[in-house]
Order: sequence, then C-alpha cells, then structure tokens
Amino acid sequence: MTTAYRHWEILERSTTGPFMDEDDFLPRRFTPTLKKLIKKYEIKYDPANPCPTDDAMADRIWQAAWDLFREVGYYNTDSHRIMQVSDQEIKEALYMANDSYLVGAGKDAVLFEHRQVEDSKTPFCIMSPDITCDEQYHQSICMAYLKEPLLDGICGPILEKTFGHLIESAGPSEISGCIQHIYNQKMAARLLGRPGTFMVAVGTAEHDSGQIAVSDDNWGVQKTDARLVGSLTEFKTADTLLNRSLHYAQYGSYTGNLTGAIYGGWCGGSEGTAVTTVAYSLIGLIMHGAIFNQHFPFHLNYGSNTTRELLWAISMAGQALSRNSNLLYTSNGFANAGPMTEMVFRETAVHAMVSTVSGWNLWEMASTRNKYRNRATPMEARIGCEVGHAVARQGLTREQVNEIANKLLAKYEDHAADAPIGSEYHECYDVEKAVPTQEHYDMFRRVKDEIADLGIEFPY
Amino acid sequence: MSLEELSKLVEDGETEEAEELAAKLLKDGSDPLLMIEELTKTMGHVGDLFAKLEIFLPEIMLAGEALSGVVKVMEPYLDAAGGQQVKGKVILGVVKGDLHEIGKNIVGLILETNGFIVKDLGYDVDPLTFVKEAEAMDADFIGASSLMTTTMPRQKEIIEILLDKGIRDKFKVIIGGAPTSQMWADEIGADLYCKDAKSTPDALTALLA
Repeated sequence: MTTAYRHWEILERSTTGPFMDEDDFLPRRFTPTLKKLIKKYEIKYDPANPCPTDDAMADRIWQAAWDLFREVGYYNTDSHRIMQVSDQEIKEALYMANDSYLVGAGKDAVLFEHRQVEDSKTPFCIMSPDITCDEQYHQSICMAYLKEPLLDGICGPILEKTFGHLIESAGPSEISGCIQHIYNQKMAARLLGRPGTFMVAVGTAEHDSGQIAVSDDNWGVQKTDARLVGSLTEFKTADTLLNRSLHYAQYGSYTGNLTGAIYGGWCGGSEGTAVTTVAYSLIGLIMHGAIFNQHFPFHLNYGSNTTRELLWAISMAGQALSRNSNLLYTSNGFANAGPMTEMVFRETAVHAMVSTVSGWNLWEMASTRNKYRNRATPMEARIGCEVGHAVARQGLTREQVNEIANKLLAKYEDHAADAPIGSEYHECYDVEKAVPTQEHYDMFRRVKDEIADLGIEFPY
Repeated sequence: MSLEELSKLVEDGETEEAEELAAKLLKDGSDPLLMIEELTKTMGHVGDLFAKLEIFLPEIMLAGEALSGVVKVMEPYLDAAGGQQVKGKVILGVVKGDLHEIGKNIVGLILETNGFIVKDLGYDVDPLTFVKEAEAMDADFIGASSLMTTTMPRQKEIIEILLDKGIRDKFKVIIGGAPTSQMWADEIGADLYCKDAKSTPDALTALLA
C-alpha cells in the first residue's frame, strides 16, 4: 500500500459513488469513453512493427489511460456503484509510489525495480506455470521451477485436488488446498537451499477466504511475499476482491494487481488493449494499493499474447508506463503452443524480448493457452528469462528487437489457431528429480541456438 | 427504404433507426417472415466477422441489441404470420463463485440471434438456481459456464442435483469456459462441451434432433 491511510477513503466510494446498472457500465460507459480517447489521442496500431519505437505515441497512451481511469472509474458489482478518483489523487499516489522494493527474505531477498525502455538493467524474473496440475506433480513442479537460476520469484501451479478431494472455490476444500499449496512451495524452497525466495502465492485461492487462510509468517505466505488481487473484465471489481487487498495491506504482505485486458473484447483492438493495460496499473496502485501490476493482455479467441496484435499492445503499454511513471509491472506471457514444442520456445522468446526492451519485468510463461492441466514447464520460463537477460545486457534497441521478433513471428504466427499442445510435465520432466528430460533439453538448446543466430548474445 | 438498409442498420448497431425502419417496412406490407430470415443471415454474417475478430465485442453486442429492438417491433406481425420458429429454450449462467461472464454473454447473444430463447441468470449462480429456473421455464438446455478450475465442480453439482431430483433426462446440460474441456464434460456426464460461441447454436440444434 503506497498510502495506507487512503485505503478506507477509496473503499468508502464503493458505497457512496454514483449508481449505475451493471449492464450499462461496459457498453455505455467504458467502451464509448475508450473509443473517444483513442481518437482524441490519435493512437494507431501498426501491424508491421510488433515492437514500435514511437515515444510520442507511448506518452499519448499514458495520457489516454489516465483519462480513461479518471472518467470511467472502477465498478463494484456488489454495490453497483462506481469508485472514482481525482487527478489530484492519481498524482499523489504516483508521487508516493516507490520505484523499487526489496522482496523475499534473508540471503534470498532481491530488489524488484522499475525499468526504463531499452534498459541495460536485467528484468526481474518471476517464473510461473500459471496452470493447474495433478496433486501428485505439485511438489515436483515447484521444485523444478525453484531450480531455475534466473528465478527471482515464483508463483506455483494451481491445485485442482487436495488429498483427493476436488477443490471448490469458497468451500473447505479450497482452504485445505491453499494450505497444501503454500506448504509444498515453501518446502521446495527450503529443500533447495533458497528458503527466503520471493513467492507470489497462492494461485489455488480463487476466493478471499483461501488467501486469508494462508497468511502466516511461520508456515504460510510471509510478509516478504506477495499476493495477487484481480479485476473483473473490464474495470470491474467485487467485495471478494476488495476484501483481499484490504487483508493484504493489513496483514503486511506485498500486493500485486492481476489484470488481463481482452483483445477483441470490450477494449476492442490493439489500441484499446494498450490503453486499458496502462490504466489497470493506475487501478492497481490506487484501488488496491499494489506495489506491482501483473498484466496479461490476451486474445479473445486464442487466449494467448504472442501474436503481433498483442505484442504491439504489450510493447506500447510497457513503454507508456516506463516513460511516465516509476511503477513496477510484469509482463505475463501466454503461449499458444504447449511444452516441448519448438513453437512454445519461439513464442516465449519473442514475448520476453519485446517486453524486456519495452521496460517490463518478466512473468513467464503460461503455455498451451493456460488451458490444459500439467502442460507447462520451467523450460519455457528459462528461455524467456535468458532472452530477457541477454536483450538487456546486450543493450539491444527496440528496432533491433523488432527485426528479430518479426523473423521469429514468421515461423509461428500462422499456427496460432492450431498450435500443438505438446507434452505434459511428467512426459518431458523426470518427476522424481525435477529436471528436464534429455529430449526436452536438446530441443530447448536447438531453439536457443537458432535465436542466438538471429543476434541475441546469451551470457552463457 | 429496403430490407438491405435494415440489415445494414442492424449490422451497424443503430437500434433506434433500425426500429423505425422496421416499423415502416411492416406498415408498408413487407413480409415479416422474410424480414426475420434476412436479419438472421445478417447476424450470421456479423457472427462470422466477430469470429475472425474483424469486428470486436462491442460491435456485435450493439448489432445484437439492434436486432432485439427490431424483433420487438416485429412481434405482433410475426405472431399474426404464424409466429417465430423457436429452436430451443436455454437457461444460461456462470456458476457459483465465478464472477467472469464475458464468454457466457457472447454465447447468449449468439444463441438469441440464432432462434433460441435464452434466460440469462448472470454470474455467481447457485447450482440449485439453475435447476429451479430450468424447471420454471420448461427449458431444453441448462448452460453453465466456468472460468476458474476451482469453480468447475459447480457444473458437476448441477448434474448431481438433476440426478437426485430424478429429472436428469428433462434437460440437456451444456458446459463451457476456458478451463473446461470435452474430457471434463465426459467426466461429469454433461451432454455437450461448447468449445466456442460460434458453433454452439448448431451443436444445440443437433442435440435436440
């Protein structure tokens, strides 16, 4: 929470703000305002350049996002009222926001920092499969991610069952599953000798009760960890979400705001997706007291963000945030293809290079459209974070990244709709040892060499 | 003033103008059945554009609103001409604990514009409410959407309640949502897994055949 004393003033607006029928909020308020602002600020998508270099447009996107948030507000679906803030309050919150936070504990604590466009500072790397997994693989998958050298933070896979019981949101099985989730993750970190690793947890909690149940500095989510609070598409919240941000602030852990503007949905095309994504960072900061924003804009049909219309939006949103604020925000990749396919490695590499050079920190990588159980592995995150480090250390420009991204896009973008779903975790990892199979590693190495040939100088 | 112009107004989401033109065409003696057939084709075209994302959600929603407005104007004429052909009655909602409804809204719109009567229960709907509403409507289908893995079990609960009440055969249960799959539909005994909005009307029609 940047300004804790404001939290109650903001929450109060959920009961005192202007009334609006929920059916009218998106079609009558959000979308028309967004369309008006896109026109006013002359924001235009350029399909030839998935990693554009238009600084002036980045600044206009920032201004459009500011206006969008101020004019539209944030709708509470429980109270049917709109929470609005003033320019003055936005300015105050931005002034008070830190540009870095020390997260994690002890020797494993790491600095999570704001980045510039074309920054030589390497991105902060949060690794996450983002998907659900079978209970029997949960511990192993946590171990496998925590073995990744470039991991700065982890968000573990989501449990579907707890001790054989199907987890139901808001029911007792969810509370049990959430506790099991954090135990597995913390135990994996301890066994691997990095017990203070920064964690974003727990993804198994869909309901506020699940999150609240794991707040414990001894065995649960610690105050040096972070938790996420989501928004409802688009610009909507609910009491169960506001409960979370208040609890996180009162408990004392870090808050991250989780949002995915939908390309093709209420925000329309790439222009609206970029503006909405930037506006969500302001929502996270002011409505939820988030220290970072975790953005995953995605394609309505594919459920991914590695095609050029999404890459453009990601790049422009990152540049807008980087040039005009000192906020922290991670770019969460969603690939079409599944693990142990060449396509998923290429998709992740492109997502990471475009994000990194545009000022983002990284959150890699939801594979297989984030849809299929057990279909994500640390190898996708590995290539993304290695590419991110290389792009930053090498000092690549947006023009250079744009050229490389276009070459890689040519190899996969026609297959977005029929991407291969690849393999499940246990088919491409040794589950007991939590290491990739030789076949999986060889494929990773092959694609990494291909990317190196395009001009990415990997440090190792 | 022509039927083509009416189609264009519906496609562009110009509700008021479309309603006015529809009223005028009907007053001038246009065949309401022919009009509804043409407008169904128009919405099919709009649906195709949306499926390819050549237009976006706000545009198809506006077109749907315009069509609903026109159909309301046409209702007395349609009744006089023998009524509209209703392909099926659907109870639709997002399951308990889940607040994400964009996919459900798209499916509802596509079904309505393809001749189905849809009662939308919104989101965060209790499993028993689905069942009670389906009984009250004498529905053909119960459509339950879920976006989160931890809310998927609520789809199963709807089927279990139907079984416990001894009315499982009265309704076809259709499921959808990002984390759901054919495998999940098979596991819980659903009648249909909807993989996307566009194919849903045909899939439902086939189920009733």
